[in-house]
Order: sequence, then C-alpha cells, then structure tokens
Amino acid sequence: MRFSSVRTAAFVLGRELAITALLLAGVSLVVFAILFLAPGDPFSLLLEGQMGDDAVREALGVPTAWYAQYLSWVSNILRGNFGTSVHTGLPVLSEIIRVGINTLYLTLGALLITLVIAIPIALLSARMGNTSLTLPLTIAAYVISALPVFWLGYIAIYISTHRFGAFPIVVGSSGTQGLNMTAFLLPIVVLGVGNGTISEVVRYLREEMGRVFAEEYIRTAKAKGGSVWRHSVREGFIVPITQIIATKIPFVLGGAVVVEQVFNWPGMGRMAWQAAQTRDYPLIMGITIIAAVIVRMGSLLQRVVHFMVNPAAAGD
Amino acid sequence: MKGKQITLLAIFALAALCISSNVQALTRNDGGVDGGLLNYGEYGRPATLDPITSNDMISLRVSELLFNGLVGIDEKQEIVPELAERWEISDGGRAYTFYLRRDATWHARAGEEPLPFTADDVVFTFRIMTHPKTITPLKVRYEFIDGVEKLDDFTVRFRLKRPILNALAKFSFKIIPAHGPANPEFLTRRDPFVHQPIGTGPYMLKSITGDREVVLEANERYFKGRPHVDRFVGKPFADQNIMTQAMMFNAIDMIILVNPRNIPEIQGDRRFVLQPYNALSYSFFGYNLRNPLLADRRVRQAFTFAINRREMLDSFFNGQGTIISGPFAPGSWAYNLDVLPLQYDPDRARDLLEEAGFRPGQDGVMEKDGEQLSLTLKVPIEKESEAVKRVVLAFRSYLRKIGVDVRVEFKEWLSWKEDVFLSHDFDIIFASWVFDDSADISSLFHSAEIGPWKNNFGAYSNPEVDSLIVESKLTLDHEKRRTIYRKLHDLVAEESPYTFLWTLTNYAAYQKKVRHVAIHPYKYFSFADEWYILEEDRP
Amino acid sequence: MKRYTQRSSVVVEFSDLPFWKKADRRDLFYLGFGLLVLTMVLVSYALGSLEWLPYDPQEIDLDMLMAPPGTEGHLLGTDFMGRDILSRLVLGTQAYFLPGLLSITIALTLGSLVGVLSGYWGAGFDTAATYLGNLLDSFPRLVFILLVVAAFKPDIYYIMVVVGITNVPVVSLLIRDKILSLKQKTFIEAAKALGLRNRTIIFRHILWHNCRSTLIIQATLGMAEAILIESSLSYLGFGVQEPTPSWGNMVQAGSNYFMQGQFWSSTAPALAILVTIMGFHLLGDGLNYILEGKRS
Repeated sequence: MRFSSVRTAAFVLGRELAITALLLAGVSLVVFAILFLAPGDPFSLLLEGQMGDDAVREALGVPTAWYAQYLSWVSNILRGNFGTSVHTGLPVLSEIIRVGINTLYLTLGALLITLVIAIPIALLSARMGNTSLTLPLTIAAYVISALPVFWLGYIAIYISTHRFGAFPIVVGSSGTQGLNMTAFLLPIVVLGVGNGTISEVVRYLREEMGRVFAEEYIRTAKAKGGSVWRHSVREGFIVPITQIIATKIPFVLGGAVVVEQVFNWPGMGRMAWQAAQTRDYPLIMGITIIAAVIVRMGSLLQRVVHFMVNPAAAGD
Repeated sequence: MKGKQITLLAIFALAALCISSNVQALTRNDGGVDGGLLNYGEYGRPATLDPITSNDMISLRVSELLFNGLVGIDEKQEIVPELAERWEISDGGRAYTFYLRRDATWHARAGEEPLPFTADDVVFTFRIMTHPKTITPLKVRYEFIDGVEKLDDFTVRFRLKRPILNALAKFSFKIIPAHGPANPEFLTRRDPFVHQPIGTGPYMLKSITGDREVVLEANERYFKGRPHVDRFVGKPFADQNIMTQAMMFNAIDMIILVNPRNIPEIQGDRRFVLQPYNALSYSFFGYNLRNPLLADRRVRQAFTFAINRREMLDSFFNGQGTIISGPFAPGSWAYNLDVLPLQYDPDRARDLLEEAGFRPGQDGVMEKDGEQLSLTLKVPIEKESEAVKRVVLAFRSYLRKIGVDVRVEFKEWLSWKEDVFLSHDFDIIFASWVFDDSADISSLFHSAEIGPWKNNFGAYSNPEVDSLIVESKLTLDHEKRRTIYRKLHDLVAEESPYTFLWTLTNYAAYQKKVRHVAIHPYKYFSFADEWYILEEDRP
Repeated sequence: MKRYTQRSSVVVEFSDLPFWKKADRRDLFYLGFGLLVLTMVLVSYALGSLEWLPYDPQEIDLDMLMAPPGTEGHLLGTDFMGRDILSRLVLGTQAYFLPGLLSITIALTLGSLVGVLSGYWGAGFDTAATYLGNLLDSFPRLVFILLVVAAFKPDIYYIMVVVGITNVPVVSLLIRDKILSLKQKTFIEAAKALGLRNRTIIFRHILWHNCRSTLIIQATLGMAEAILIESSLSYLGFGVQEPTPSWGNMVQAGSNYFMQGQFWSSTAPALAILVTIMGFHLLGDGLNYILEGKRS
C-alpha cells in the first residue's frame, strides 16, 4: 500500500473514531439527563420506608449533587464499572455481557435472515423492473413488515408445536437439556422476518442496485461482454448492504426486546424489560448504553468497509 | 483456558474432600428412591437467593430449599423441630431457649471443609438481620425480640420484649452462616453471599446463570437425610403462556402456581397431576376512607352488595375458591364461619346509597350535594394479569349498574405502591394479602398503622377494633384469642373497610412421574426433600 | 430503464401533467389501497365518536366469554370479558388518533425546523443537526422507550413524544436535502434577489410549495409507526390500558388464548393492524412516487 493511502486510512479511521467517541459521550449525557429528570427515588422504594434516605445513600454510596453523580458515573463507565443493579445487587456490566452475547446472536442471525429474503427480491426487481413476479414479492415484503412481531411469534410457536410436535423454545441456559436446532432458529427467523424493516431494505437495495446497473461503466462492461454482476458487486452490493445493516441494527435490537419475551430467549432485551418493570435504573442505563455502543460499532465497521471498497468516496 | 483450570481445581478439591471426611450419604427410609432431575418453571426471575434481602416468591422458594429455621411448620400448621432439637419457654414467656442440633453442617464451598452449624450462626443471623444498614423486609417482623445470647455452642436464648402468643412460629426464620457474608456487620444486595448463598438445607446451590436459572443439587449430608431428587432446576420464563406450553411439551416438570385460564387445558391431560393446595391469602377491594364519599359505611356496604362475587368466581376462576366475609383467610383457625358473606343484591345496594343521601343525577351517576359518586380504582400492571383485569372490569361494570362511576387506572407496580402506601392517592384498590400462620391482622386495621408505608393504607380507624386488636395481642391464651378474633371478624365485616372477595384455590401442576408431592401453603418447597421420581419414569 | 436514473436526493421538475397521468398502474394500486384504508380508518373513527357501534364496547357479558365469531350477532365474536370485538375494533382507532397526532406533530415541526436551519443556513447548524441525528439513531427505539418508561411512567403520550423525537432526524434530513437541491438550482438566490424575506422564502416557497408532499408522506408513515410501537408496547404491558381498547392491547389479550386454539380474538385486531400499516405504507410510497417523482 502506498504511503499516502496509509495516511488517508489513518486519518479516516481517526476521524471516525473521534465521531464515535463524541456520539457516545452524547449518548451518556442523554441517558443521564432522562434519569436525572425522572421523579421518584428507587432506593426508598426498595426499602419501603424502613429507613431514612440518607442512611440508604450512605449504605449504597451514592453522591448527591447532579454533576457529581454524572461525573462519577461516566468515569466509572470508562473504567468498565456500570454500577450494580438495584434489583439484584450484581455488577451491571457483567450481567449485561452474560446475556448480551445471546442478543448479539439473535440480532446478527435476524439481520442475515432479513438480507436473505430482501436481497433476491431487490435484485430481481432491480434487474427486471415491475413484472408479474416482483410485484407480489414486493407486496409480500410489505405484508410481513406490517405484522406485530409478537403475534407472528405466537403463530410460529403454534405451528411448530401443533403441526410438527416440536417445542421451539430454549428453556434456560444451563444446558440441562440437549440443544434443539429449531429452538435456536425459530426466534431468529421470526425476528428476521418480523422486525418491520424488510420492505424498507428491499426498497433501499433496489434503488441502489438499480442505480449501479444503470451507470455507464456497466453498460460498457456489458458491451465488452463482461459480467454485469462482477462489476456491480463492489459498488452496488457491498456498500449498500453494509450501509443498510448498520442503519437497521437499532431496529433489530429493539425488535429483540419483544422476540426475547416470546421465545424466552435469555438476552438483553428481556433484561431491559425486567429493568423497566422494577425501575432498575443502573441496569436499564447500562443496557441502553451498551446497545448504543453496539449500534455505533456497527456504524464504524460500515465506514471502514466503505473506505476499503471505495477510499475516495468514503474519505470525504 | 481459565474456565478449564477452575473446573479441574474444583474436581480435585472434591476428590480430596471425599477421601478426608469419609462421608456417608444419609439415606432416609420413607419409601422414596434417590435420583432424577426436576425442572420447575418460574414466571420472572429471582433477585437474590438469600433469605434476608430477598422479597419475591421465586427467591422464597429457593431459600426454602437452601436453608432451615430453628423450627419448621408442618402440613398441619404445627411447629416441628428443625435446627433446634427442642426448646424451653421460661420467664413467663419472655425467654426462649433453643437446644440446637449437633449434626447439622453448612454446605461446603469449593475447596473447603463443611463447617458445623453452631449457636454462633443463630446469634449472627439475628444481629445481621436487625442491623440498621441491612436491607430487608423482615425487620418489622422481629421487633418483638429484645436480644439473643449464646449459652454454649449448641444453646441460644432469645429474650422477648414482652410475651406474645405463637412466638414460636416466628422462630422459623432462616439461619445463615456466620462465615457466609463477606461483610460480617450488615447484609446488602452487593454482598456476594446473596448470589452464592450456603445454607444447611436439603439442597445446595450449584449455579445460577446470567438469565437467573437456578440449579440446586442434593445435599448428601442433610441432617434429615439426603433428599430424593438429585437436582432441582428453576427455569425462568418471561411469558406465562409459553411456560404452560413448555410443560405440555415436557421441557419442564412442574409449575407451582398455574394460571387459572390454563387449568382446563392441564386438567384434561392424563400426563399431569393438578394438585390443589391451600393458600392463606385473600383478594379484596380496599377503600380509601380519607375520601369523604367512602367514609360512610353504608356506601362501602352498598358496593359489597352490588357485586356478584359468585358469578365472578365461576366465570373467571372456574369456581375454584371460597367467597369470604371477613379479614381472615378461611383456611386459618381465626376465620369466623358464622359470619356469612353478603348476598348479591343490587336493589339493597341502591337503597343503601339513597340512605346515605345519594340521588341519581345526570347520566345516571349518583350524586350527593352536587358531588358525583365517581371514584378511581388503581391497579398495578402485570403483563399477563388477565384475571386481575377481569375482576376490576367486572367490578366497574357492576358498580355502574347502581350508578357509581369507577375509573380504572393501571399503574406500573412501583408507582402503584407509592400511590397506595406513600401518597395515599387513590379511592379504591384491588389487591391480595398473603398471611403466615399467625393470622395477625393488627397491621391492617389498627389506627396506629395509618401513615406512609404502613399497611392500614385506607386510614380505617375504629376504637372498638383498635381495642380488640390490642386485647388479642396481650392475651396468651389461644382460645381467648380465637374468641376475640371471631368478634373482630364480625365487626370488620360489618364495617366493610374492604370488600372481601375470595380465597382462590391454588393449583400446582406437575408431571405424573414426580411422586409424594406436598406443597406448603406459603413456603411451597418445605417438603420437597420427600418428593421422589421412580427410576422407570426417568428419561 | 429510465426510471432508475434519478438519485433520491435530486428533485424532479414537475411537468404540467396532472399527477394521475404521471402515475403508472402500480402507483395507482398503491394509492388506491392506501386511500381505501385511510377512509376505513377515518370512518371507524367517526363511527366510534358518534357511538354508532353494533354493541357497547365496554359492555361486559359474563355469559359470553370468548364466544367465537358469529355468536348471537357478535360478528367477530367476543373477548375475554364478553365484549364485542367488532365494536372494540372500530373504537380502537381512537386510541391512536391523538397520540399518533402528537408524535407526528413533534416529528414534523422539529424536523422542519432542524431541516431548514441546517439546509438554509448550513455550516454549523448542519454539523449540529447531523450530530443530533446520529445521536438519536444510536438508540434502539424500544430500548429507549423502556428507559423512559422506567424513568417516568408508562403513558402512551410520553411514549409518543419519544417516537416523535426519534423521527425528527428523518424529516429534517429530507427537508435539508430538498433545500440543498433548491439551492443548487439557484432557486433561493433568485428568490432573495427578488427581495423576498427569509420568512416568506422558508415558509411559503420552501416548506409549503416544495416540502408539502414530503411532510404529508412522513405524516402517513408516522401514523403507521405509532400503531406498531403501541402494539409492541401492549405486549410488554406498557401500551394503552384497559378498559380503553387499542388494537395492540386487543391482540395481547387475545393471544393469551392463542395456544389453546382460540385464534379469533387476536386475529381480528392483528389483521386490522396489518391492513392499516400496509395501507399507510403503500399510501406513503404511492404519494412519494407520484408527487415527488421518486422511482425505485
């Protein structure tokens, strides 16, 4: 690699990292602001009036002034200390990591399913225009994007149990029963199909690919007898696909909250729901931040891929 | 790599342990066989697993398996020895001396020898439980104890502030080891002990996953003899429908409390046993007497006449329960069977409202002095509390028929608690009380219990009730207390600070393979060491 | 292949042809379906407000719990309280009307404001707007809503404020792109040269004449979103609460009986959600193609 391109790469990477850092700082401020403005005091509720506030605060070691709270919270977070859950008393970060990995499997699997469904539809309609084949496919994409995902999950479970006699749910994570493939696949498929983004992904990819197909150099390649596909892969394929993955991560993570409930999937979304119910502030704070970090990392990765595919376009 | 090392170490430690201490598993001769695995489903996740900081049913069940009290309470509600072999009561009921078992040991931590249970642990438990910095809901229940002293390694004496009836039952609180908590002064949810507790009970905690799946293993050294089932696994669920399906498809073996709507489905299935068990609890509508509209007894009585409890019980709970008339659980000795529940009578309800000065106003809502009889009913949101929704919606519809306007407001659990117990911002609530054996209702209706976070949330105050409650607390004679309670029942029923509804029959459902199952009314797993699974039934 | 040649950010000059002549068959199908759904929703809303319903949607009938469709005049059957599902379905549109409007209003006003600031005045505003947009996009929406629920209370209006705010970047980006393209065509310079005031240019010429259809389309999509979010939250227990009917809490209540094979009480509201969301999406897309000339 030439020197100048290394420098550009370093510059682009540095800039993207700085942007990510700035955004995450903003995320922490937003999360803190929301909880700071929130009425009520979780500690007093936990105790049900057994002792005065100060005694509890002393026992749990919480500072009182808002900026002191924010600063101590942020500096703790930077050191990997997200505090301890009010509900269970366990360190928040390790709790989230223990279940977060399951959510990551679910989300990535679901994104894969979304793409597996969306790409062929997008390709077909980009290549062939509106034909009697692509219209029903597009409509179908609209239909499944519009279903409430928990209801889709119930249907999937009902069909799986009553038609195939298979119980498609992972019960617990201690592994006291053998692995069950449908139990892993079904939630992923349901989230992939039902996260409400398929029609948007189809539309976006179709537009991007259509643009690439229409561009001059492909016509030239075609004229020379080269493959349309090979030329369009980099520009029209990798960039838009990574782009759409990066933008859809937050949607799929949000959908995971519901799907994890339905399928008893031991993940972060279920934990977020539990935390909302018990008003476990440190935990829901931690989950929101970790989710935002995942989203930002996805975005960062996308920029890197974009740079590798097309340094010129990504550089500006 | 790291994980592997730890496992190896643990195995090594285990091997060393077996050689050195020459353990012989204590077998029990009650006809059961050892072995097998029992998965039970839980709706929700336990917060902590120790008996002091936890306050949910799921943790309660786990700590029942892990720990023992000085005394236990058996199926017939009688006091039986547990960690204490025998006891003496002296000084006119002010001193309780417990003589402890010498053969009880604490569960061994990895790489450690099991330590014996001694008087120090009892003293330690009491101290840590009453320490001001310990966060526990138990504190108020042990205010009657003045102090505890160790007489020798296996004898302790508790001194009471004043003699009380049935004090012995209160010594069923669970004992934790002095070497357990990292902080020997007080216990908070940050202490590692609350997640990795060790006890003296029939089961030992093997692991708890990030998802709060609890794996418990039989304690070979349990002083009552090794429990039969090798392993208990508590599986957490986030959706009750799915939990029932999990049992239908053999993914779990047992559900402790079956949702009423699933009863017909399980009843029709020969693979399962549906076992009713008594619950010392009841449901009620509680009124806020701070509201002048509800301060009139006739209004509250009218509400009780206006609702058809039989119809609700039959439609929503398949008739599985008992309609009650007063403030005690019908399963308890304190319940007065001579007081009959009021019959459904909407005309009588309307008459009572008119007697109280209400007249039908515009849009059919009753009014008095221009004020409409319009009330807010606050209910906590529970995601799948369909039964709760049904009861409150039916209540609203019954009251509408006698011209009372009820606005139902669902609130998230914690803010509901704040509204009811702290700011008293409600007119009516729908809730349930769960009792222990003492049938103590003093905190519910005594006027000294009015105030933030106290149980007399409706500010009910009646000197006669107060004096009856005080009288009942002072007496040390069981029969006399029963007479007082009968009077109290009659009076509270007449006064209607609540509309008492019913005690529901609880149902546990489990696979037929689990034998000899008995379920404790409010501790659930007290007899779990006697359950067993025959070898031919195991997968 | 001509229809693929335009980039999304480029605005097509409008010809003088009336829009229905520019539309192809698919566009008309989308638009027709969307309008049909919209009409149905509006009619339902009106019927609900006038209480012209087959049954009282609050009327409890304990002898008719979970009756299947067609029982004694209940066209879609009854729910777990014996209430008529059809009446509740019709009345359910009301649950979305004001909350949906709130979220749309927030998204459109704030979105236009930010869009105009960053597109018209550019530079600093633009950077700030992009930053805020990326910031809001960093939160998975449902997780963010759970955070707000935990912090405040599970009130549909609070939730819709969050939904509205998280939609601001989408709207502002569209407006900004539109303004930039107008700038490219020296439209704005021309207006300024004519001596028009900034306020007039922004409100009349940019927002009204050029962004109107964009805003209408976003409003349609915003309504669809409000419905979907509410139904997810109803499943989690934080949506519209009984006794007020919403499609989300009806699906949730009915799905408790799904595994026992009693499908109807959740299927009817679920289909209502499905058809409505689809209708709004197709309406949005149809309008997009026809009014904006965007092709995909």
